[in-house]
Amino acid sequence: MAAELKLRGESHTLLSQEARLREHLEQDLGVRVRFSPFDDVRALLVSPQRDAAAKSLVVASDASAAERIYLYVHVAAHMALGHHLPLVTIVEGAPGLSHLADDAHSHGAAEKLARAMWWENEGGLGAPPRVQRSVVLRGLVSRAPTRSALHGILLALRAAYYDLRIQRALEGSRLASWLRDALCVTAVVSAAPQLSD
Amino acid sequence: MRIRDAERLSRAISTLGNGSSLDRLVDRVYDLTDGSLALDRATLHRIARGKTQIARAIDSPEECIRLYFALMIVGCEEDLAVTTIVEEGRAILAAFIGAPLADLIFRDLERTLPKLRDRATLREYLEEGLRVWLPS
Repeated sequence: MAAELKLRGESHTLLSQEARLREHLEQDLGVRVRFSPFDDVRALLVSPQRDAAAKSLVVASDASAAERIYLYVHVAAHMALGHHLPLVTIVEGAPGLSHLADDAHSHGAAEKLARAMWWENEGGLGAPPRVQRSVVLRGLVSRAPTRSALHGILLALRAAYYDLRIQRALEGSRLASWLRDALCVTAVVSAAPQLSD
Repeated sequence: MRIRDAERLSRAISTLGNGSSLDRLVDRVYDLTDGSLALDRATLHRIARGKTQIARAIDSPEECIRLYFALMIVGCEEDLAVTTIVEEGRAILAAFIGAPLADLIFRDLERTLPKLRDRATLREYLEEGLRVWLPS
């Protein structure tokens, strides 16, 4: 029952994307990721003096898979910009917290780069390639009302996919794959509208 | 390492330990630093009593930093106030090392700590901070 609830709460596509990005962080960027309950902080990147040494990312354990994906891309953008060196701890907080706003400038630069990485980067930290180049999807998720409507429709389609038992008929089809990836992208941008244009 | 202010360091260890025995402190520091600090009871005793200006068991800035993080984690475990933990931690680091490395750490501390409002988050930061200073 618990597994089923989890399945309904977080799509397999989102979870596998999250795992893929986490693996990329760990293996290619030397960032160990772990989870911990936080209050107003969403993630902490603790870095050493030199980039070659291991880094640690602690992510709020209540962050959804979509939010975790955003945090991974955003933190990777900070690292690409060198904001974490030497010995700089990057604290990601919930939006709008005044005591977390003092590095607004560097966060702004990281947001820009994160957006580019998510939409342009193939593999690595990029969005699922099947939908990444879709101008229609990108347009729909760029505005809050259409993003919200699209998210609702894709969730409804997902529910129908399982409830109406059409899973077997569509499983493996390109349409189902595209819709799964579109739901993943929409969920991530809904959790982090900063990633939209 | 040479201790700059033995008396202040002694007070900081006592405050962060919150009345814990030196044996317990030695064990905790050993565990927290994965055994990478060869700090025995006699050495900690001398440091904690403010009786020595030289700590041979801690012979590099990296080891001072590990001790600093470990003792601050002990302060978290003792449920001390965040401000007390930070203040005493700073005193420890300042007592041991100066120069560029301490400056970098202090600068990060200055930037980071105002963002960490609760003890649990501070502890996560300290644990990860300690981890990045453990020998690989």
